[in-house]
Amino acid sequence: MKTYELTEDERDVLQELMNVAYGSASAVVADMLEAFASLSIPKINVMEVSKLLETFAELKGSSYFFSTQVFSGEFNGESAFFINEESAKNLAKHLELENDEDLDDAILELTNVLTSTLTTKLAGEMETAVSFSLPSISKVALDEIGDVETFKQYSQVIVINTELNFKDQQINGKIFILTKDESIQWLKTKLNTILEQLI
Amino acid sequence: MTYLVTDDSKLARLTLVKSLKTNLGEVEILQAKNGLEAVEIVKNKKPDIVFLDLTMPEMDGYEALPLMIEIHPKIKVVVVSADVQTQAKERVISLGAQLHIQKPINADKMHEILEII
Repeated sequence: MKTYELTEDERDVLQELMNVAYGSASAVVADMLEAFASLSIPKINVMEVSKLLETFAELKGSSYFFSTQVFSGEFNGESAFFINEESAKNLAKHLELENDEDLDDAILELTNVLTSTLTTKLAGEMETAVSFSLPSISKVALDEIGDVETFKQYSQVIVINTELNFKDQQINGKIFILTKDESIQWLKTKLNTILEQLI
Repeated sequence: MTYLVTDDSKLARLTLVKSLKTNLGEVEILQAKNGLEAVEIVKNKKPDIVFLDLTMPEMDGYEALPLMIEIHPKIKVVVVSADVQTQAKERVISLGAQLHIQKPINADKMHEILEII
């Protein structure tokens, strides 16, 4: 298996594109929740899935709502949104939801809006288009995350890791964009083209 | 006229520098990678116009903005950010920024900004 790495410049360009995309996505979600999101600097890493799974051990909380959405096109992969049980409860309280079914529905809609806005904007900045499948949701225990089907489909991934953070409502989630080898190569070429056009 | 471009991203700085040069030709453009560096430059070089990102390591734009104005009250600050939430816009304007503009900025958008300020 070929191992891909991002150069410092490639990482910088991707981080900035992601920053812009995430700014738009979080504003849409903030409007939806009538709340204010504090933005953090996205972290970009290329890693093997096994390493990614190791990083999940640092997460707080014993169980997570985990929702994913596949996107396809020249740039393709899967976006994933994690929200722990405590944050999910706070989301339910904030939205005045009455039962678990409503909460699942709210997290799915939040994932749909967040990840599709994020990925569409990111693809737009790279002058390409993506299409989406319907998002799906599951509730997983932290020590069983490795069994999630999504991760079995990827070997090496670009992990674009950012946080959705509504401090006042104590709602905090993590977003990952997972891509496969051919997309990583496409992405590297595109990032270099973007940079060359400015120099 | 001296300009200061402040962003932790090289891409963002290059984009701003290019759009400034497209509109103004060869002008003096200083660069900073975070709020801390930007405040130092404002202290020493007194630039006329600052383009300031909000989310940066070391010192963010929210912290740097009032410090810049305190050091150099005549400075004009244009916040250039991915954060397009209304509260973010209101906050930077209340801190003394002239404008809050959504990233990315191309030459046409820069032309409009320069016309306004």
